[in-house]
Amino acid sequence: MTSVPLSAPLPEDPPVSLWRDAWQRLVRNKLAVVGLAMVLILAFAAAFGPMLTPYDFLSQDLDARNLAPSLTHLFGTDDLGRDVFSRVLYGSRTAFLVAVVVTAIAVLIGTTLGAIAGFFGGFADRLIMWFTDMTMSVPNLLLVVVINASLKTPLSQWMEAQYLATLNPIFRETVWIDFILVFGSMALISWPPYARLVRAQVLSIRSRPYITAARALGLTNRIILTRYVVPNAIGPLIVSVSAGLGTAMVLESAFSFLGVGVNPPTPSWGNMISDGLRVWQHYPHLLAAPAIVLGLATVAFSFLGDGLNDALNPRGSK
Amino acid sequence: MTERLLEVKDLRIEIDTRRGPATIVDGINLHVDAGETLGIVGESGCGKSLTMLSLLRLLPNKIRVAGGSAAFQGSDLLKLSPRELRETRGGKIGFVFQDPMTSLNPVMRIGDQLSEPLIHHRGMSKADARKRAGELLRLVGIPGAEARLDAYPHELSGGMRQRVMIGIGLACEPDLLIADEPTTALDVTIQAQIVDLVKDLRKRLGMSVVWITHDLALIAGLADRICVLYAGTVVEDAPAEQLFAGPAHPYTRGLLASIPRMGGAETERLASIGGTPPEPGRRPPGCPFAPRCALAEDICRQVVPKLASMQGGSAAHRVACHVTSRALEAA
Amino acid sequence: MRIEAIRESAGLTKPFLEQFLNYVLNLLQGNFGNSLSSGRKVWSMISAAAPVSFQLGLCAIILTALIAIPLGLIAGLNQNSKLDYTILGSALFLWAIPPYVAGPLLMVGFLLVLPGINMPYGWGGIFDAKIILPLIVLSFQPIALIVRQTRAAVIEVLSEDFVRTARAKGVPETLVALKHILRPVLTPVVTQLGLIMITIVNGAIFVELVFGLPGLGRLTVQALTNSDYPVILAITLIGSFLVMFSNLIVDVLYPLLDPRAADSMKGR
Repeated sequence: MTSVPLSAPLPEDPPVSLWRDAWQRLVRNKLAVVGLAMVLILAFAAAFGPMLTPYDFLSQDLDARNLAPSLTHLFGTDDLGRDVFSRVLYGSRTAFLVAVVVTAIAVLIGTTLGAIAGFFGGFADRLIMWFTDMTMSVPNLLLVVVINASLKTPLSQWMEAQYLATLNPIFRETVWIDFILVFGSMALISWPPYARLVRAQVLSIRSRPYITAARALGLTNRIILTRYVVPNAIGPLIVSVSAGLGTAMVLESAFSFLGVGVNPPTPSWGNMISDGLRVWQHYPHLLAAPAIVLGLATVAFSFLGDGLNDALNPRGSK
Repeated sequence: MTERLLEVKDLRIEIDTRRGPATIVDGINLHVDAGETLGIVGESGCGKSLTMLSLLRLLPNKIRVAGGSAAFQGSDLLKLSPRELRETRGGKIGFVFQDPMTSLNPVMRIGDQLSEPLIHHRGMSKADARKRAGELLRLVGIPGAEARLDAYPHELSGGMRQRVMIGIGLACEPDLLIADEPTTALDVTIQAQIVDLVKDLRKRLGMSVVWITHDLALIAGLADRICVLYAGTVVEDAPAEQLFAGPAHPYTRGLLASIPRMGGAETERLASIGGTPPEPGRRPPGCPFAPRCALAEDICRQVVPKLASMQGGSAAHRVACHVTSRALEAA
Repeated sequence: MRIEAIRESAGLTKPFLEQFLNYVLNLLQGNFGNSLSSGRKVWSMISAAAPVSFQLGLCAIILTALIAIPLGLIAGLNQNSKLDYTILGSALFLWAIPPYVAGPLLMVGFLLVLPGINMPYGWGGIFDAKIILPLIVLSFQPIALIVRQTRAAVIEVLSEDFVRTARAKGVPETLVALKHILRPVLTPVVTQLGLIMITIVNGAIFVELVFGLPGLGRLTVQALTNSDYPVILAITLIGSFLVMFSNLIVDVLYPLLDPRAADSMKGR
């Protein structure tokens, strides 16, 4: 019998962690970097923008109405003499707030339902998936409109009743109704994709050989869940959340545009566009400023989402 | 001297990696004579499939030919115009791929898939091509041949699908049939049937065959000559019976020793070759096999051995090894 | 006093479940109730508006298929080339521009470039030139969606072994693209019909509003401003029906596109 000695191992590259590897792939993708930069700028504007502008979004200057863009008013002024630049900055705050809160609620609902469906299967799975499919087959804008329209009156009545019963001034603040309605109805239409995604992930990961292998090694459920299932499921979820943030911003502006979103005077890109549309023949800047900013925001989230997708799912980007 | 059908010289193939191009196939020389069956043997990743795919420019993205030539019937395959290339593909050179499940179009009837080369190379009408496709199915031994023309690939068994693939490869009666591990995805019993089928067809059609495999035992009765590939180079090239009788390269010896034999003592352990082949781009400076070789000397780690006939041996038996070619010389 | 009378006549004093049951029973008889703002029958309002939206939507779907599938095919076949980036970049751009922004901006652009032209506003039938601009705007997002879907599917199919087989047979490249690549690509793309329908229903709301088209979309917005629930509910039902109907069409088409699916269905 021939004995062949084992060779000395060849030098290997230092191991690259999953996340570092993904980050490197993301940074190499020019469009993704542009998207990320734009998102960061927008987030900065949403957080600190209002402190940087000399005008309050509500301060009216009736002597300076409908001014064209200039150095004193970067994006001009609107029909009440309010500074459009300041209002766009405040709008970014609304957009971010809605996007983050709505996506957070939707991810919470979706992940929970999806995980339950995927993990337990059987009747729970069928019931949840039936509900998911139903929700997904109603055109989402119409669904929000229905939810909004049917909840607005009962909610106001309930708030009023609460106020009369407790005399707590919180219940007189009608702005809350707007926010609850907008956040609630948007979250109620946004969760199904997350539920589907998480269910599919749980199902496919549960049946992978490396989970069986981990079980065979005698690892506990907790370790399997934290070391194997979560890291493998979280990539697609991150991609989906990034895309979801962009979608939520667009949806918010769409609802404001339709008049079921955040009500004036709180500025939102959607209701600025809606206002601008009425006078666009005479003052195109009132339409262009919020529209272009919204367009840039959605493009930024698209770029970032696509880049994340390529970075976190290297299989698909081959 | 028999006529050379294909002569590959100094073929080099590179892959784009993040660290830059890495050489996968490093100066391969091999030839196929008219009417001959050449077996190409090697571990997965040694570049045996890529070598053959490169001849018809079927390499996957990011992998490309970096140098060399491939003379076939008076022209260099690597420099063909798109039109000549198309005429060669499927016309003069037929290809049979590894996995018939994925290599056949799942949404196309097999009759149409068989007809395609006939329509594009022979200029046949659809009806004529269909008739010929039926004959081809009978030729490759599919029962109820004509009736199967309207079947989809998923409706056939694995062995039947591979017969269809072979039928496609043979449709235009090519001068050379390249079979890229055609039996790897099949059951052992079916493997033998496919080998017998190709043997039989080669006799009837008088073509040359290149059979790529990692299984030396499989082609023992099929190949006239065998090329052993290791890490992108030819390490041994010999007529089949000489290779089995007196393997010269330590790698070939290791391969042969790892084939289980009938009648061996029950306690006898199968030999295995320790270590793994070097990755492309990390090949050692000297002989690529040196790190795994029991016979390696200093020269092996510094100088790449050339493929040469063994002194005192047959001229057709060539090996790329500093040590064993010398040992024979001394004997 | 009057409020109570109206409540009584609208059946709002009855228990919730009874109200719901009545609504469903009426629906089954084709009765959507009456509009709260105009008092007209909801059904007659919808049947007046629906043809506008349906024609517009159907044309948008056809336009999408004609433009998006070839573009996606070209982009996928030339992956990572300048052409690919141009097509993909444009698709991403179209996707990111909501119709209520694209509409007005295009209108502005239209008037600036061609000042003498008539306002592209209002409905003059599907063959009227005024329909071109709204149709284009309505197709933007579906086109972007399908271009990206098609491209991704082409790239996936390109790595399949059977494409290599087709090339090894000597099939000309154009025929490889049309017979071996496009065909399998259509299967995943067609399954997106339901999603496209949602995009179009959403888009129609804005496009009809911006371009003053008297369809279901504009009716939705009007109903919304007037809190006209019966109308909103009816339109939502019709929208959902359209999406489910599209999904049904997909289920019927699927086995025709993929013979493997046909077999597994027979097996059931």
